[in-house]
Parts: sequence; structure tokens; C-alpha cells
Amino acid sequence: MAQKSWFLKGDVVSGAVLAALGVYIISEARQWNYVGPEGPGPGFFPMWYGIAMVVLSLWLVVVSAVRPAVAGAKVDWKGVGRAMLVWAVFALCTALLKLLGLLTVLALLTLFIVGVMYGKSLKIACAAAAGNALGFYLVFSLALNVGLPVGPLGF
Amino acid sequence: MTLRTSIIMAACAAALAAGPAWAQFKPTKPVEIVVHTGPGGGADVLARFMTQLIEKENLAPVRFQVNNRDGGGGLRAMAYVAEKKGDTHTIAIFTGNWLTNPLVRAEAKFTLKDMQPVARLVLEPAVVAVKADAPFKTMKDFIEAAKKTPGTLKQSGGSQTSRDNVVRQLLMKSTGANWAYISFPGGGERIAALLGGHVNMMVIEPQEAGEHIKAGNMRVIAQVAEKRLAPYPNVPTLKEAGYEIPNVPQVRGVVMPSGVAPDVVAYYEDLFQRMVKTPTWRKYLEDQQFEDGFQKSVELGKFFDTFTNQMREILKEAGTPVVR
Amino acid sequence: MDVLANLGHGFIVALEPLNLFWCFAGVFLGTVVGVMPGLGPAATIAMLLPLTFKMPPTSALIMLAGIYYGAKYGGSTTAILLNVPGESASVVTCLDGYQMARKGRAGAALGIAAIASFIAGTVGVVALMLVAPPLAKFGLAFSSPEYFALMVLGLAMVVLLAGESLVKALLAMLVGLWIAGMGIDLFSDASRFTFGNSEMLDGVDFVIVAIGVFALSEVFANMEQREEGTMLPVPKGLRNLLPTMAELKACRFAFLNGSVVGFIIGVLPGAGSTIASFISYGLEKAVSKHPEKFGTGVPEGVAAPEGANNSETGGALVPLLTLGIPGSGTTAILLAAFVLWGLKPGPLMIQDNPELFWGLVASMYVGNVMLLVLNLPLIPLFAQILKLPSYLLYPIILGISLVGVYTVSSSLFDCYMLAAFGLLGYLMRRLDYPSAPLILGLVLGDAMERALRQSLMMSQGDLGILVSRPISATMLVLAVLLLIMPLFRKFNSWRVRAIEENG
Repeated sequence: MAQKSWFLKGDVVSGAVLAALGVYIISEARQWNYVGPEGPGPGFFPMWYGIAMVVLSLWLVVVSAVRPAVAGAKVDWKGVGRAMLVWAVFALCTALLKLLGLLTVLALLTLFIVGVMYGKSLKIACAAAAGNALGFYLVFSLALNVGLPVGPLGF
Repeated sequence: MTLRTSIIMAACAAALAAGPAWAQFKPTKPVEIVVHTGPGGGADVLARFMTQLIEKENLAPVRFQVNNRDGGGGLRAMAYVAEKKGDTHTIAIFTGNWLTNPLVRAEAKFTLKDMQPVARLVLEPAVVAVKADAPFKTMKDFIEAAKKTPGTLKQSGGSQTSRDNVVRQLLMKSTGANWAYISFPGGGERIAALLGGHVNMMVIEPQEAGEHIKAGNMRVIAQVAEKRLAPYPNVPTLKEAGYEIPNVPQVRGVVMPSGVAPDVVAYYEDLFQRMVKTPTWRKYLEDQQFEDGFQKSVELGKFFDTFTNQMREILKEAGTPVVR
Repeated sequence: MDVLANLGHGFIVALEPLNLFWCFAGVFLGTVVGVMPGLGPAATIAMLLPLTFKMPPTSALIMLAGIYYGAKYGGSTTAILLNVPGESASVVTCLDGYQMARKGRAGAALGIAAIASFIAGTVGVVALMLVAPPLAKFGLAFSSPEYFALMVLGLAMVVLLAGESLVKALLAMLVGLWIAGMGIDLFSDASRFTFGNSEMLDGVDFVIVAIGVFALSEVFANMEQREEGTMLPVPKGLRNLLPTMAELKACRFAFLNGSVVGFIIGVLPGAGSTIASFISYGLEKAVSKHPEKFGTGVPEGVAAPEGANNSETGGALVPLLTLGIPGSGTTAILLAAFVLWGLKPGPLMIQDNPELFWGLVASMYVGNVMLLVLNLPLIPLFAQILKLPSYLLYPIILGISLVGVYTVSSSLFDCYMLAAFGLLGYLMRRLDYPSAPLILGLVLGDAMERALRQSLMMSQGDLGILVSRPISATMLVLAVLLLIMPLFRKFNSWRVRAIEENG
């Protein structure tokens, strides 16, 4: 029960976001032909799922807003923060792929997760980073001959 | 390829270009053939056949490798080639899509004008086919039936800008008949729709239709070709059947990044000229029922211009928004 | 009997030492590319195609087909162990397979996947052998209205995949439909929801969304706690690594269901193995005595989709070999290979090249046995990966996800989108939106819109075409039944509760 009210609030927020997405879909769909000379146009289908999305999400918002909140709600914001931090670093890593190549990026990502997120010693973190990059090199580049994104140094 | 080697390569190319006339360009490392489809697509199969042929006949000192840059409706491959300005070890297979796509896509950053024409290789004819038990024996039967009940006859085909639809638009315009066009993403589904009796007609590559005709499931009523194809000596081309519309071939050939020296272009031009003379290539054309469409760089550049203008007019008339 | 004599002849071809070797090479390669996400059979076959020109066509075909069905065996491995779908059809396997692994039954899940694949793969070949020509005719009776009804039936599965809230499941499905609609519209050449970005013109690849929403969100959610914990218990001993008799018994119907559904859907050129595995999973859940346990790691939930996925291969070869009509990317490449060898698949192929057809069929029996023998011993080996401490396992999963997405079409843009979908998956998980309906909408959306518009073009706008054709009408009725079934259940449980409370 502890997280119930947060979920309710989450439903209101996510419902509102989805309703906005639905409105966006409808507004885009209105720019395309609804029905053309050959039959239903590109706007036909998006119009309908856009409308369905708005209706359903508003329904979700209303139902969860009306439902009484349960006391003692608590969100593990720290946990969510940790997850979002990992996500942000992962996103940064994908952005660095072009510059550094996959193996370097993977080593950095491993270093971060092992060293920072799990607080292991620098020695372990470095070994894990090097091992992971080496493993990917052996499996994908060498054994399977998959083309990986490479950096300026050729790896 | 790394940045450093590309700089070195570019420097070498520049040195070669500036050098004396006898310093002929020769590739020094594997040449990349860019195609805009995934493995198994039409351009991909052609490119892989070419790599095989070049190796077997020892036409070049290095290997050729296929690089699939699929996605973006073909625009990704075009951007990839155009951005490799000056690269002497990259070539690409172009198709008619490379000419028409930039006309209708606002997202396109490059056109074939941003690339160096090398050689045109094949022209792919097509045939107009109906189901074997359909009442239409000739193109005229079909057109007359379409005139009687406008909009009820159906043709299966690919996207709006595909050759199938262009032929339909041209025929409808010149005859005043009207029939529906139903898009299917895969060639298999198009044939299945015809054989299942869900549509009445399709424009199909002769090689694809061959077995269905032999098995008695399909009938050819006209050919979309300059002259009659060997397997169908008794079927008239559209022109012969009395429909004066421009011939719309599916075209494939080779381009490369712009900004390369003339001797580089000359090298590849000569390579493909030697390739199309091999018996293996002749047999390939025959098996696939392609027409030999070999053209050198300069003529190909002119072909691009006329083809683009022609397509622009056709698309405009078909009501497809043209952006450039 | 004619078939037996032909098959006997086929076995003589398939059991030639050289052909046995190529068959093994094919299924082995297939398993490897199947295990690796992103690497698919289509690309592998295309890359090996030039090499096969030097081989006799029968041997070459035996090997290439081996890659095709071998890849389907391998696809479940990463789905079960890491929640990373190895290929599109393994998404459904993630639902229960990964949950089984979390309960310490990773080995059992892998074993059931292998056994289901073996049974259904073999059934698929039997069916291909016995009923190919008449069934191909049935496939032709399917056109856009029937496909539309099939997709509706598939979307109706959403009520079976929904968690606590049907509204949220439907919303997730609608988002899936929206993502499916991104890119160029086939009919009008208009680009939709591409944000002016040319990389988006072909839409969003299914693998990117599946890996982001399943694998990445799992990693992010697990990173919330710093404690490593023993994430996935791996029991010792061979016995605990293989499915128990009780688990196998629970899968009896699933094996049959997967085999039949997979084959029938495989025959239709416009469907595909992902749709087959979804429908088979839904059917299994619909008839199950304990539908509420699906998604928590029930063996049937692994057996049905894995079976369907493998039996689909046999089905997909029906239109390819008897009509020359490819139904998927992989069969399209096989068709291209045939043409390059100068063979012409089509109505006359079985008559003209009996050695090739029957040799291939026989080799598929042999290949399925090889795959089972090859895969079962690998299970304990693969299960070892779960013994890695989580701080090592997670970076590996993230790396495999990146590589898997990148190999789809060597595009960095796809990697950026992976990050975005990882975030979406995590948020959905936190906010209690089920992810399977999103994938369902994504898989079916494009085909459904297309089929609807094609139907209405055929009928000149008359919606009657959807219900006036017997096959599509039947499927639409089934879909409606599926949709109202939970209402009955709910009503029943209310009634029971009401009676209990009153009494």
C-alpha cells in the first residue's frame, strides 16, 4: 500500500502526458488527407488512434484523480535517481560513440557502473572495464566480424 | 576507415591527380560498394553478383565489398556517398529511386547531382500481367473494361513513386480509363493478391513472372519495354499496342562521391566496361531478362537530367507533391 | 506411398556426408547469429550467398535453410537469460522466459524452448511435406480484409497481456501503434512523425524498441538498489538445469498450439513469425486454467511462442517453394539465391527438381535433430553467465544491447533512439504500464493500417468487405469474443464475491 498514492499521482501525470501526445497526433493527422481519391489517406488511421488515446488517457486521469489517495505513500526517489543517473550516463555514452568508438565507450560505461554505482575499488573497476571491452572485441569484431562503431584510433 | 587514413588517401589521390598523365589511378585497398537496401534487396543482389564477378574474372587488383546502408527510404545511402567527397575507394549502386526520391522528400539533403556518375549498367523491362483465367486477352480488353466501370478494376503494386504506378498514371492519362491502385510493400504480396484474384492486373518484372506464366497461372498482355523480350515474341509492347506513352525503365548503375580526379572515374568506367563484356555478365542479363543499358559517365550524367525532368512531370501530373 | 518414396529419396540426398556437413554448418551458424541480438539470418544468408555459388545448389540450399531455422533456435537464449530479445520473434519469449530465469529456472526455460523448437520445427516440416500445395491455395485466399481481421485478432490479445489496468494496457498499445506509423506512408508517400529527420523515414526498427523497453529498462530498474544481491539464482547440478516432467507436462498443449498456429500463420505471406508467436501465446493464455500466472514465469508461456516461431519456418517455405512468393526478408533472400542458381521456385519446382525439394525437406528433419543435440548441452554453459556478479552482468547487457541495435543497420542514430526507448521502458515500468501491449501495437500497427486501407480501396470505401468474407468475419467474431471474455470473468468473480460477502 505504501506506494499507492504515488502511483495514483503518476497516473494523473502520465495520463495528462499521453492526452497531450494524443492531441499532437490528431493535430498532425489533420494536416494529412483523411480520405483521398484512392481511399483512406495517411491521416485516417492516426486520427482514430489519436482520438482513442485522448479519450482513454483522460479517462485514466479522471478515474485516478477521483480515487482517494492512500496515506503513507512513499516513492524511493533515491532509487529512481540512481536509475536515472545510469540512464543519463548511458545516453551520454551513445552520444560519444561517434567520437570514441564502441569499445572505449563500453570500457568507460563499465568503469562508471562498477566503480561509481557499485562503489568497487578502482582496481576492480579498471579490470572489469578492460575485460569487458576485450571480450566484446574478441566475440564481435574477431569471431563474428561484426562492424562496430570505431573511434579515430581505429577501435 | 579512420580519419587519418582517409586524409592520407585523399592526399594520395590529389598527388596522383596532379601527377603526370601516365600516373593511372589503381585502387590500393578493398573498394566499398554502397547499396541502399538491406541484404537480399534488388540492388544488394546485383552488387554481390558484381563483387563475385569482378573477383572471378580478375578484373581489379583489389576486392570489392558490399556495404548495406539501408534505411531512410534510400536517403541514408545517398547521404553516405555524398558526404564521402573525394573518396576514391567508394562506389554505389543507384536505382531509379535515387532520382525520384529527392523529388518528393523534403528530408533529402542530397541528390544525384552531388555525386559523380560512373556507368549505367542495366535497364529492367517489365510486363503487364493478369491472372490466367481473367477475361482480358489484350491490353485493349483491360482498358475498355476499365472505361466501362471506372474505379472498380484494381492493380497491385508498390509505392506511389514506383514504376508500376507511373505506368498506370501514364496509361490512364492517355486513354481516359480509370482503375484503382493498391500498394503492397512486398513483391510477394503483390503477386499473391493477383493470383488470389483480389486484384486484376499488375506490372511485374519478367523474371518474376516467368514461372507463374509457365505454370499457367498468369498471362502477359503487354510489355513495358523498347522492344519485345525474347520469351514473349507474340506479346506487343505498349507502344505497339497503340499506347503512346514514354517508356519507363527501371534503371541501375554505378555512381561515386564527387570531387574525384578524372582518371579515377576513367578507371571505374573502364572496369565496368570490361565487366559488361564478360560472358558471365551477358548470361546474367539473359537469365534475369534485363536489357543491357551500359552508358559511360558523360552520357549517364545527361540521362540523369532527362530522367529527372521526365519524372518530375509525371509525378506532378499524378498529384504527388514535388519538393524540388 | 508416393510421399514416403520421395522422402526416402530425400534422405539419401540429405544423408550424403557432404550434405550432412553443410547442414551442420548451417544450423551451427544459425544458432550463433540467432543468439546474437541484431545479427539476423537475413544478413548472414546474404553475406554467405556468393560463397555458395561454388557449391551444388542442393547443398547450398540445405545450408542456407539451416541458417534460417537454426537462428530461430538461438533467438530465445538472450531473451531468457538477459531479457534481450535475440530476434524479433523472441520478444514474446521474454515475457515468461526471463521470469523463469529469475526464479532460478533458466536452464528449464532454455530446455523447454529447445524442445518446443524441436517439436514444432519437425511438425512444420511434416506439414510442409504433406499439405504444401493445397495449403498454398488457402494462403492465396487471404487478402487484405483477412489480414486486417488477423491483425484485429492479434490486437485483441491486448486484454490477455494487460496487467492490472486494461486502460493502461490499451494506452501502451496505442503508443505502439503510433510508433509503428512513423516513417513513409506506403500509399501516399507522405512522411509521418519523422520530425523532419531523414533517418526516421523507414520508421523505427522493432528491435530497437524491444531491446530498449525490455532489456534496458530492466537494467535501470535493477540499478535502483546498490546492493548487488544474488540477482538470479543458478541451481547446481544437471537435473536442475533441465525441465522437470511436470513442466514438460504443462507444456503439452503449448507444443501443439505453437506448432499449428506457427505453421498456419507462416503460410500467409503477409504475416510473420512475431505475429505467430504473439497469437500462439495469447491462445495459450486464453485456454489456460491459470491465465493469471502468465507473465510470472510459466513454462507454457515459453513453449507456445518458441514453438510458433519455429514452426513458422516450415509454413513460410510453403508459398516460397510452391508459388515463388516470399513472405519475409529471409525468404526473399532465399528466393534471390534460387534465381542466382538458375532455379525457379514456383508451381513447377517440386516436379522439376524433386531431388532438391525432398533433399531439403529431409535435411530439415536432420537439422532439427542436430539443433536439439547441439543446443541441450549448451544450456548449462549459457546459464553460467547468470553466475556473474550483477556489477559485471549489467555492463555486458548494456553492451550487447548497443551492439545488437547497431548491427541492425549500422546506424548511430539507432543507438540514440535505443537510449530514448530505454528511458520510456523505465518510466513505463515505474508507472505500471505493461510493455507487452506496446510491442504488440508496434508489431501489428503497420500491417493493420495497411490491410484496412487496402481493403477499403478494394471495396471503394465499403466497410462491408470486412465482414462479408467468411474467413475475415470468423476472425473478427473471435476477436470480439476475446475482448468480452474478461468481462465475463470479472462479472463472475464479482458475483462470487458478492455471494460470499452476503453469505
